[in-house]
Amino acid sequence: MFRKLFFVLLTGTLLAACNPVQTVSSVAASTESPATAVQAVPSITLTDGLGRTVTLASPAQRVVSLAPSNTEILFAIGAGAQVIARDETSDYPAEVLTLPTIGGYGGFSLEAIVALHPDLVLAQGGGFNSPELVASLENLGLTVYVLPNPPTLEAMYTNLETAGVLTGHGAEATALVESLKVRVVIVDEKILPISFRPTVYYELDATEPTKPYTAGPGTFVDLLIARSGGINIGAELQGQWPQISLEQLVVANPIFIILGDAAYGETPEKVTQRPGWGTLTAIQTGQVFPFDDNLVSRPGPRLVDALEAMVKLLHPGLFE
Amino acid sequence: MKYCVPAKIMKIRPYLYTMIFLLLAVMLSIAIGSVIIPPVDLGRILFGWLKGVTFSDPLKTFAFILTDIRLPRTALVLLTGAALGGSGAAYQGLFRNPLADPYLIGVASGAGLGAVLAISVKWPYSFWGLLAVPVAAFIGALLTVFLVYVLARVGKTIPTTNLILAGVAFGSFATALTTYLMLLSTGELHRAIAWLSGGASQAGWEPVLAMLPFLVTGLGTLLLSGHALNLLQFGDDQAQQMGLSVTRTRTLILLAASLATAAAVSFSGIIGFIGLIVPHVIRLWFGADYRRLLPLSLIGGAGALLLADVIARSVMRPQELPVGIVTALVGAPFFLWVLRRAKNQGYW
Repeated sequence: MFRKLFFVLLTGTLLAACNPVQTVSSVAASTESPATAVQAVPSITLTDGLGRTVTLASPAQRVVSLAPSNTEILFAIGAGAQVIARDETSDYPAEVLTLPTIGGYGGFSLEAIVALHPDLVLAQGGGFNSPELVASLENLGLTVYVLPNPPTLEAMYTNLETAGVLTGHGAEATALVESLKVRVVIVDEKILPISFRPTVYYELDATEPTKPYTAGPGTFVDLLIARSGGINIGAELQGQWPQISLEQLVVANPIFIILGDAAYGETPEKVTQRPGWGTLTAIQTGQVFPFDDNLVSRPGPRLVDALEAMVKLLHPGLFE
Repeated sequence: MKYCVPAKIMKIRPYLYTMIFLLLAVMLSIAIGSVIIPPVDLGRILFGWLKGVTFSDPLKTFAFILTDIRLPRTALVLLTGAALGGSGAAYQGLFRNPLADPYLIGVASGAGLGAVLAISVKWPYSFWGLLAVPVAAFIGALLTVFLVYVLARVGKTIPTTNLILAGVAFGSFATALTTYLMLLSTGELHRAIAWLSGGASQAGWEPVLAMLPFLVTGLGTLLLSGHALNLLQFGDDQAQQMGLSVTRTRTLILLAASLATAAAVSFSGIIGFIGLIVPHVIRLWFGADYRRLLPLSLIGGAGALLLADVIARSVMRPQELPVGIVTALVGAPFFLWVLRRAKNQGYW
């Protein structure tokens, strides 16, 4: 029954992430002379992650980013100079730290956003920015576009291209997507001849070392581990961010322990000292590695960096 | 009337004090926000409104922020605080229990379950889709109170002990179910947590208008039941002998307080502590007469929540704290201070 429920929810996410309809039309009527048609600004009309139709008279020049993934996308496609404010958690690339913030995880300040007079507020779907927030901003007369939370790399590429269209960096976005695709193909080809598929435990939070949080099926961690030629032991569990019992972990006995919680101070040494963990093969063979969780938790272009980093950890022989 | 109004009640000083407090809180709530509007500009805007002047930037932006963000938020917080303070006083009188608060018999856990259920469904982005969460929370809250009421009933009476126990038990059940749903949820976790920790709502006047009829009905009824609550303090038998229809009165007060709380919670999320401590502070300062305690708690609750909201949106500017954290973090030490200084010990 839970499987069914999960499936229903997953389908919902997938449907929401379908390619947005992109139309770039010209406002100029066909009867107008070429001279006036040149002056006419092409308007942009897109359907966003909430199914809203969003129209921009011209590419956005004053963008407020409401999520770290959006900030990373905007800077990666060369629209960084058009970003005027960010959310509290946006910290990459380093130059964004000089931008003013308009709130974050705890709540966003509508006042601060309104006072900046943005011509586009770029929100993220999938729970980080609530529909209530989108509605509030919309009611205040702001143009809001919600990038859907992408379930696949392909959907992430679509988000890059959408952001490109919205900010007038379509060509750069397309070029970036092409280069990302090439990098993914290189990884795919590298691991194709390898039949060895190591088991991986990806740790998100081990505040309770007897039942730490891991990444379940349908997450980017799960997807990237599989794509890197590994088997995520969390894929067998229920829900996206399930807790795994130490018993289950001992039975699964993963070859690799990847510490997504390294940023919170977890180190391979600390893991070795956890009571009951010493019997794990990964600890005895020293296959415990820290990992930058920001690469996988933010659905932007750095997911491909995450893929490459993961392959290097799981199959170091390929890179000698 | 046998229980004529004694002269003490007519004293307006407590009302004066609480109204000044509320007025100060409203002014702070309008003046302070994540965007700093200099007092001079604030004055210019107010003056301009009186004259009907159209503003140019930056006054135009400031005026827009005031009318479209701060005023509706101030109104929403004021009404929510009034509902929590008033219902808290009524619940404490009804249950004759100092630990009673508006959430005692499951309004919060029922609303939380309803809200999280609604959040886990993907609604289309529309007027009705956005109403799904507050409506589900409202229904969840009232359904829970109804169930608890039915479960606690013994024959024709509703013993308060039964009500409390049924409420606590059903509340735990609903909370556990809510947590379980949140664990199963995919991606909407943040929204659910934000709702449960209070203060998450759509901006604008719509929520204010939507909750107003329920608040007027609920709080209006409570304001008229001060005398009945005074009688209930003597115990059920005595109150009955004094001519009060105990079961009917209790049901009515319960319904009114729950209606007001449910409406408040639906749009503002679960905000703790206001409904518990405001009536106590009022009781310590101005006495335990419910004819006065109810309106004063209502005014005091509105002022206290407004102050908490001002703190919530200014300490980590421009980021906002959930207001529920502030009410407990600032409210608890303040209450302990009041408790230590209180001259009329054993007031309960």
